[in-house]
Amino acid sequence: MSTRAMSEEGAERDPGWASRLAAHYSPLVFILVLLFAIIFIYGMVTAPNFLTVFNLKTIIRDAALVGIMAIGLTFVTLSGNFFLLSMKETAALCIIAFAMAMSGGYGFELAFLFTMAIAIVAGSLQGVLIGLGGNPIVVTLGAAGLFFGLASWWSDNLVVSFRRPHGAEWLGTGSFLGLPNITIAFILIAITAEIVLRYTTFGRQVYLIGANRAAGRATGHENFSMAIKTCTIASVCSAFVAIAFSAQVSSAQANYFSSEFGSSGDMTILVIATVMVGGNSIMGGYGSTLRSSLGAIFISTVDNMMVLHGFNSGPRVLAVGLMIVFSIIVFALVRRGSRVQE
Amino acid sequence: MQPLLKLSSVNRSFGAIQALKDVDFEVLPGEVMGLVGENGAGKSTLVKIIGGFDNGYTGNYAFDGQSVRFASPAKAEQSGIAIAQQELSLIPTMSVAENIFLAGHNVPAVANKRKLVDMARPFLEEVGLDYIDPLSGVDRLSVGEQHLVEVARLIAHDPRVLILDEPTAALGEQDSIRILDMVTRLSERGKSIIYVSHRLDEIFKITDRITVLRDGESQAPRTADTLNVNALVELMLGRELDNMFPERRPKRQAAALMKVRKLWPDGLLEPVNFDIYPGEVLGLAGQLGSGSGEILGAIGGTHRTRSGALTLSGREFLPSSPKQAIAKGIAYCSDDRKLDGLFLGRPIRENLSSPALGSISKFGWMRRSAEEELANGIAEKFTVDTARLNAEAGVLSGGNQQKVALGKWLSIAPKIILVNEPTRGVDVGARAEIYQKLRDLADEGAAIVVASTDILEMTNLPDRIITFYRGMQIGEIGLEDMSAAAILKQITDPFDETNL
Repeated sequence: MSTRAMSEEGAERDPGWASRLAAHYSPLVFILVLLFAIIFIYGMVTAPNFLTVFNLKTIIRDAALVGIMAIGLTFVTLSGNFFLLSMKETAALCIIAFAMAMSGGYGFELAFLFTMAIAIVAGSLQGVLIGLGGNPIVVTLGAAGLFFGLASWWSDNLVVSFRRPHGAEWLGTGSFLGLPNITIAFILIAITAEIVLRYTTFGRQVYLIGANRAAGRATGHENFSMAIKTCTIASVCSAFVAIAFSAQVSSAQANYFSSEFGSSGDMTILVIATVMVGGNSIMGGYGSTLRSSLGAIFISTVDNMMVLHGFNSGPRVLAVGLMIVFSIIVFALVRRGSRVQE
Repeated sequence: MQPLLKLSSVNRSFGAIQALKDVDFEVLPGEVMGLVGENGAGKSTLVKIIGGFDNGYTGNYAFDGQSVRFASPAKAEQSGIAIAQQELSLIPTMSVAENIFLAGHNVPAVANKRKLVDMARPFLEEVGLDYIDPLSGVDRLSVGEQHLVEVARLIAHDPRVLILDEPTAALGEQDSIRILDMVTRLSERGKSIIYVSHRLDEIFKITDRITVLRDGESQAPRTADTLNVNALVELMLGRELDNMFPERRPKRQAAALMKVRKLWPDGLLEPVNFDIYPGEVLGLAGQLGSGSGEILGAIGGTHRTRSGALTLSGREFLPSSPKQAIAKGIAYCSDDRKLDGLFLGRPIRENLSSPALGSISKFGWMRRSAEEELANGIAEKFTVDTARLNAEAGVLSGGNQQKVALGKWLSIAPKIILVNEPTRGVDVGARAEIYQKLRDLADEGAAIVVASTDILEMTNLPDRIITFYRGMQIGEIGLEDMSAAAILKQITDPFDETNL
């Protein structure tokens, strides 16, 4: 009774812009923005090269590949299907497929479609198993082995390269209005994903099933089709990243995403870290792809600053780990605080 | 007589919300004191203060004539105050005897199983579980029996005051009776008991006096036999509730809306047959384990079904998922709203529109205005504050949660609404509202089927009742023969006269 009276009082008072903002966005967003600002200012003060247009572009470009994969994975996580531990192996299979097709002379368009078809099969296969009730960890660990095995076998564990000039250069190294095309792709994918989640029935189903799978089923939203759809989205995003990366280096090897990538070297871990640093609920039903995109930029900024300060890869991996732990604690605390029982 | 436990002028506030205002509460030695009130009236706050979980109050707390202020639950326990919480705290993989002596009081440093069994027996007898092997695992007992084991564990510490917080909220009739018997037995042995419950019939059955909390204020305790249900409800709500149950107007239409034929849900002993009529509230009466809830689940597409058919407007079908049932205009509201009735972490608006995404979207795009219109309409009908539609469903009280869990089905304008335990864990005010809404929906032409183990509800809400006993369909009771005695006879002991 008393809480209702209070909320009515609150509605009568004219809220200032600050409280309107606070009502609209959760404290989580504020914390993320604040943290980002602190790190940004610290970077400006301590590293002279930090605040150059070139460096800022580098930060976002570095965030792009991980960010795109994290956006795909976010759909899986939000829908309550946990994580795909096969993200980098899917990418490995796809990058070999793409490079094989390119070096076979089929051209960018055909190679692209071929790779995407493989990604759709790989994703929906995992989705079916998860949708039938398989444990996502077990299913995707198994799938990871399968995909990586296929990729190594197919490529004989060798580098598959294709000669420049080729039809994929525009995606790998091209730019538009001064922005690398891969950065533009990241931004477009981030916006599209956020729109899909917010304004489509599919997006709503992702949240509902993620929030409570049993209630989702009871209201006519089955996780079976949801698991297939979200796993396919994640898989397709992996494939896109594989294609973009291969286009950059005009080659492919099965272990590109295991050893040579990012600060931590392991793409799957980095992608999962990105989803979590963004503050998405591991249990599903709460979060957004926007959070994952910001998470990717956040990690990339910290990593960039450490590079500018001359840290080698050990401390940088440590930093990613700390960011995960820290974000989990902060988000858990803030979220608990925001829940006041009637 | 000197009260054993006495609180006077206790105040407790959380931020701007004053949970308790000048509350007086006392329990005499050997007395069963009922503590009732709507959700949010302050019962649990009071219980927490008594049990030492909360010491941020102002006011006086005297125990056994001494002024006290318990710094922790352990301190309260040492003084002889034991609380049986709603949530069980047993370890399912351990035996009954091990659970009883979990805390390790009065147990020798080294005790073998035999010793534990011998020690556990008297406490099990005291709670009426003498037929149970102390070595059997707790997970093999019924929920009611588990509650009794929990109480046995508390009694093992020989408390002077035992607080039972809604011990029967999740129990069927049989298990509830066990708990009530135990309370009576313990009070005869001189223990003081504070009994918190929503089930008013129980309160009258076993308590000596009743203290009512309303909006954080206590009413002077009344002797149970000077009150009746209506007077008590009036005290709790602070206003007259003419009748908790809406008036029944039998008006069965000629043609059945749905024919249930040879439907055999898993868990029942034999198939069931009955008809569902539009405009009617049909009750499926039975105790826990009677199968009445499973029948609703089977029609709603959530419960597995061996065989059978439903005929809805001339077409035969059997839903294998809720999705298929929803497509036929069948809504099923389960008995566990937290499990599958609500999306607690999502806004109330999204909860209300969740079954009807198709009708509030165009080519897969959500139409926000259509959704808001839909959610507002339902919220107004169910008196859920429309200003709070963007708040998470999880912040609502039990009664309001149930209104949302049930109300969301209005979004698909269902022909048949199946409700399992419509008012479990719901306070009296919201309960009356839910009954009224179900009646209104029936009057608008929907067919309502309610399964419940609550006898008061079964006697007063439905126009017609079908009874079930241990997985078998027993009989049908029309409005003219409806009485608690008639229903109880059929759902507890149907074969007494007919077969023997």
